[in-house]
Amino acid sequence: MPSNDIPHVHVKLFGLFRLDTGLHELDAQARRVKDLYPVLLREARAGNPATTITRADIDGCVVLVNGKQSKKSTKLSEGDTVYLMSPVCGG
Amino acid sequence: MATSYSGYMGKVLELDLTTRTAKEYPWTDEDRRLYIGGKIMAAKILDGMLTGHEDALSAENPVVISTGPLTGTGAPCSSRFNISALSPQTGIVASSNCGGTFGYHLKKAGLDALVIRGACETRSWISIENGEVEFHDAEADGVWGLRVTPAQERIEELLVQKWGARRAFGQLVIGPAGENLVLYAGVTSDERAAGRTGLGAVLGFKNVKGIAVFGNHEITVADPVRNAAWNKRFFKTLREHPLTGKQMPRMGTPGLVSPMQMRGMLATRNFSAGRFDAFDKVSGETLAEEANVANRGCVSCPIRCSRTVELDGQLVKGPELETLGLLSANIENDDLNVVLRLNHALNELGMDTISCAGTLAWAMEANERGLWECGLSFGSAQELEGIIEDIAYRRGIGADLADGSKRLARKYGGEEFAIQSKGLELSAYEPRRAVGMGLGYAVSNRGGCHLNGGYLVIMEGLGLFCDPQTPKAKADMTMMFQDLMEATAAAGQCLFSTYVFFPSMLITRPRGLVTTVVNKAAPHVGWALRAINKFPRAVHMHMPILPHTRSFEYATGMKMKMGDFMRSGERGYTLERYISQRFGISAKDDTLPKRLTDTPQDPADPTTKVPLDELKQTYYEARGWTPDGRPKVSTLQKLKIV
Repeated sequence: MPSNDIPHVHVKLFGLFRLDTGLHELDAQARRVKDLYPVLLREARAGNPATTITRADIDGCVVLVNGKQSKKSTKLSEGDTVYLMSPVCGG
Repeated sequence: MATSYSGYMGKVLELDLTTRTAKEYPWTDEDRRLYIGGKIMAAKILDGMLTGHEDALSAENPVVISTGPLTGTGAPCSSRFNISALSPQTGIVASSNCGGTFGYHLKKAGLDALVIRGACETRSWISIENGEVEFHDAEADGVWGLRVTPAQERIEELLVQKWGARRAFGQLVIGPAGENLVLYAGVTSDERAAGRTGLGAVLGFKNVKGIAVFGNHEITVADPVRNAAWNKRFFKTLREHPLTGKQMPRMGTPGLVSPMQMRGMLATRNFSAGRFDAFDKVSGETLAEEANVANRGCVSCPIRCSRTVELDGQLVKGPELETLGLLSANIENDDLNVVLRLNHALNELGMDTISCAGTLAWAMEANERGLWECGLSFGSAQELEGIIEDIAYRRGIGADLADGSKRLARKYGGEEFAIQSKGLELSAYEPRRAVGMGLGYAVSNRGGCHLNGGYLVIMEGLGLFCDPQTPKAKADMTMMFQDLMEATAAAGQCLFSTYVFFPSMLITRPRGLVTTVVNKAAPHVGWALRAINKFPRAVHMHMPILPHTRSFEYATGMKMKMGDFMRSGERGYTLERYISQRFGISAKDDTLPKRLTDTPQDPADPTTKVPLDELKQTYYEARGWTPDGRPKVSTLQKLKIV
């Protein structure tokens, strides 16, 4: 159970990741971008059990936090918006 | 003039519209070796006809419609054909490439190319059956005045009546925009368009509404067994590649809207910004989820990039990335349905979506600045369908808009935000976040074109991520990609087939070690690219990243290693420039509007503008041109142009 001091962020998804899973956006708690990845993988598999998306695919995503290019190690703050785009779509 | 090479039909037909006569145009095997086909072949033919005094909208402007040796041989993505002539937008040699079935059927009719001279005295359409030409009265036949799809349907109806049966044939037509000499009118074959550079107006001036081709000649290949086996492998490579096997089939070119937004290169509000807040309402993902009902592809194409959408109960062609970006973000329209409607209207009226959308964006800004009170404004796209119709028929403000942004800016002011180069409006990639693409737009032979400009965005953020702001190595990369794409197009293949140039791993693992090394190293290998560009014999071999050369050899029987292929591309590129010099083109014309070269996209980051002067000089050096942008005599001799 995430604790309350972990930032709440809004995640929007793009690229084949979104088309394969039907997952457009979700709210999550994470201290860094990479902490979102297990959540995304879980939600992706829940959205489409047959998805071939792997952790490595998510690792390769292009990341924007509040419109700025970011890395998986980027720290998140309360209320941030995170854009994640699957790599084949413009890595 | 028969040929010893397979793949070619061995005949080029010269058609004089004024006298309504046809004869064979002399084209030798030596010409085929040097100029391959398609746009390079067309450039060589135009080189012998243009003196520098011709006007695009005149009977003296020759039109060359040419195929490549791979067209119809079963090679993947090989349905392309090319149209070259003087462009009414740029006033210099232009080429426009098209899918559809016309190229294939031109070869079935026994022809590699058509050379069209003069002008018809009356409104006409032309049919060519197994090389025999017949002129038809386009007005009496009810073809003149029709939009693109009804015109194609009417021509088919007339031919079926004549034949007494349905047959497979190819045709190209112009729409009302071409008839009314809109400077950016296109030419359409099936649902594909040779959209750019206004060649529809050139045919319209010549009173040619359409050309239909039919024949039952056999297209032979030199080594059928190896050709079939290699093409099977080539198809497999395309199907397994992440761009051509996944990305393009799922989203088509619109799939690039989101990555362009992420990279800050989605042209927004007439290129004053690189991101559009409402981009997801018009993204490739949204198009795929909400509007796309089917994919379509050209003959012998495994990619099937074309979108089909439903509009008013009809299935119609969906927008390409350029159209989607320029009719949404660039005019601040977030209504996908409006984009679909405008795209369909432009296609049916026979107009280049890029130039029309770029002109509308200029007009919106000019209106808001009080330079030209035309009533158009950003964010108000609903009324544009009527405006587009007015452009096609040159009514009201449409008469001005039909001349494009360069001429409008000369008339009303606002040249610094007329987003064009040499008179051709830029595509949807904002080059201040991809400076190599900025160079490409400026030096491109046909004006502000992303493809003829080398498409460096694929290295600068839409595939790889080599520092998009550095000018380092960009000139040499631009030359290399321009030449490779020039040769690919000349062979008759779609440029999307060159995506296999990028190993899958580089695309799917953008943070992998190899990709990271490539991204970091690329700006430092300009010297190596320069050496390869200068001495392409160094790559006198077939390379796995370029399967095209083996397809070429097995189809034609002509030796064509990677180095030969690059040199052919260089020859074509330089030849077009050499011809355009006669019309006064030099470094002064390789420009971008000041907005892109003088104003940083991000005011806090001075690197977010295109350092064009520096890039141009390196580019001219790489090409063996003078600092004034003219091919040196030694370069022309090396390429056997003179």
